[in-house]
Amino acid sequence: MTKERRNLLLNIASIISVYIILWFFQKYGTEYQIRILNNMAVFITLAVSYNLVNGICGQLHLGPNAFITIGAYTAALLTMSPAEKQMSFIIKPLIWPFSVIQAPFPVSLIAAGIAATIFAFLISFPVFRVRGDYLAIVTLGFGEVIRVLCNALQSVTNGPLGLKGLKPYTTIWWSWSIAIFTVIVIQKLINSSWGRAMKAIRENEIAAQAMGINPFKHLMMAFLISAFFSGVAGGLLAHLITTISPTLFTFFLTFNLLIIIVVGGLGSTTGAVIGAMLFAWGGEALRVVESPMDIGPVHIPGIPGMRMVLFSVILMLVIIFARRGITGRNEFSWDWLFSKLSGK
Amino acid sequence: MKGKVIFKFFVLLVAFCFCFTAPALAKGKIKIGVYLPMTGAVAAYGQMEWNGLQVAHEMEPKVLGKDIELVLVDTKSDKIEAANAVSRLIEKEKVVAIIGEAISGNTMAGNPISEAAKIPSISPTATNPLVTQGKKYAFRACFIDPFQGQVAARFARNNLKAKTAAVIIDIAQDYCVGLANFFVKEFVKMGGKVVSTTYIQTGDQDFTAQLSAVQAAKPDIIYAPNYYTEDALMAKQARDLGINVPILTGDGAQADELIKIGGKAVENMYFTAHFHKKAATTELAKKYIAKFESKYKKEADAFGALAADAYFLLVDAIKRAGSTDGTKIRDALASTKNFPGVSGVITMGPDGNPIKSVVINKVENGKFVYVTTVNP
Repeated sequence: MTKERRNLLLNIASIISVYIILWFFQKYGTEYQIRILNNMAVFITLAVSYNLVNGICGQLHLGPNAFITIGAYTAALLTMSPAEKQMSFIIKPLIWPFSVIQAPFPVSLIAAGIAATIFAFLISFPVFRVRGDYLAIVTLGFGEVIRVLCNALQSVTNGPLGLKGLKPYTTIWWSWSIAIFTVIVIQKLINSSWGRAMKAIRENEIAAQAMGINPFKHLMMAFLISAFFSGVAGGLLAHLITTISPTLFTFFLTFNLLIIIVVGGLGSTTGAVIGAMLFAWGGEALRVVESPMDIGPVHIPGIPGMRMVLFSVILMLVIIFARRGITGRNEFSWDWLFSKLSGK
Repeated sequence: MKGKVIFKFFVLLVAFCFCFTAPALAKGKIKIGVYLPMTGAVAAYGQMEWNGLQVAHEMEPKVLGKDIELVLVDTKSDKIEAANAVSRLIEKEKVVAIIGEAISGNTMAGNPISEAAKIPSISPTATNPLVTQGKKYAFRACFIDPFQGQVAARFARNNLKAKTAAVIIDIAQDYCVGLANFFVKEFVKMGGKVVSTTYIQTGDQDFTAQLSAVQAAKPDIIYAPNYYTEDALMAKQARDLGINVPILTGDGAQADELIKIGGKAVENMYFTAHFHKKAATTELAKKYIAKFESKYKKEADAFGALAADAYFLLVDAIKRAGSTDGTKIRDALASTKNFPGVSGVITMGPDGNPIKSVVINKVENGKFVYVTTVNP
């Protein structure tokens, strides 16, 4: 058996085992556990796609919340029933195509991805004229523009009242299938000649250009793919919490994603996955420290916000002891695992 | 070497302590879940409501002969966390009913989960009409934005005798947009005219452009149903520009910061509100205010009062239901009639929204003064 064949089989086996684990949770787990699993999958999709631009291409892009917003609103407007829309839009009625159309969930997710991609295409021209801090500022600006537009365009987004009554279509099957699909697509891309070109741009753009790589073309490619998956994840998120409003998509969402990929390991998909899982699960697990406790005879009343303190301490420890995040730029691979196991 | 030994000893000590750690035991208790924004952008509301809840809990710690335990879970003022919190309260803490959230957006994230689990929830201060729309198990202790907007319009027409109004709306807040919208509808229906509509955003500092438009339109009143910071700054700049018409606003203005920031400019500012100490006439309200003020050494606020009402309504419903079954509590809650709460006499409407009176307050000599009560 060749190495490639072995790895392929192991990949398939591990995907199947993920589904088996999910099946067990679906059958025996509580709603609460399933909700955390869903959050995990959505954050994996978001982090892995965000990491493509930030980690692989090395561009400090701070506007994924714009793509997520567009995806969430597109998907929500497509799946809501016309009756529900009429009931929710109490300030200004919803404008025509949106007020009558209704699409199934998978269609709405694809539409969400496409809408985000179109937006990314339009803004990529101004965005990639600049680099470094300036690129960060421009993308941050677009993120805010979208949020403000959501507040202002009341006849499309219902303004700050938000949309509610979305059907909870996001099951663990949907969210995890999309997360796995995202990881596979982005991993394939990174390991292709496109991905190597992107890494070359990250290391030294001028040198890459001298080697005949067109930076704009490659960066735009990464940007569009990242936007597509962010948009899809936005649609998933909307149907997970069943209500959306512009306050959900502030800069803090971007900030959380940035924490995830930096702690996980900037430039590593494995790191992004681990970071996202820790983030989604850790936030809930740490709630224990906020509840009232009896340590021996001492009664400690619950202190809200304690988990944020602990969370920050953990973040600091990770950054002090693993300066490049949990995985650094390394990726998990079967070859690595077998060489470790055989003690070489 | 010595350091290492001490370190090991320390680790052992900590581990030993944890052996005795147990979540505060709750046997034979009735658990009521509370999810509030205790940290994050709107933590102030969560804090105020938790203060009110604790006072209410001390006043009535028992129901059906059992102790009530309030289980607080923080939402970080965030939707995803709010949904997680409700899920946790239901699945892990096994609560019989839920109080929360403070703001509408987060309550809308939590409600579908409690609805699916058939656990009644009551929000103290989520005023967005969409919160209870189409939900059987969702209630609130406050009146909704459309109602408050309508009352403001009636007050402007009947008491302030205004024929024309200028409306300034903070479009980043669902609350402000809702209020302004229903004010305009009612005001126009009553024969008034809206001569200028301008928009601001939370965090704006300069309102000159909007106020110039207002000045040019020469309205009888300004209706600016925004939060206290924007209200105070706007009032200051309006007075500087020489606009001296009365300003009418909503309950978002009811914070001491309004007077601290606004100073003389907010004198004679009217606002519709849920609660004023002077208007609180029920026995429960008097007891609550006395207890609140002796505990926290400050004046009882509307957020705390509404949170206390949410608690009292729930305890009353559990008492009448005689059981902790979600559906039975829900039915009892829905049939609440003339309950003498802290913020007034409350009757629960068929849609989960209470029918209760609106208080109108005004700023006078740097204090909130009670003007009148408008009944539904």
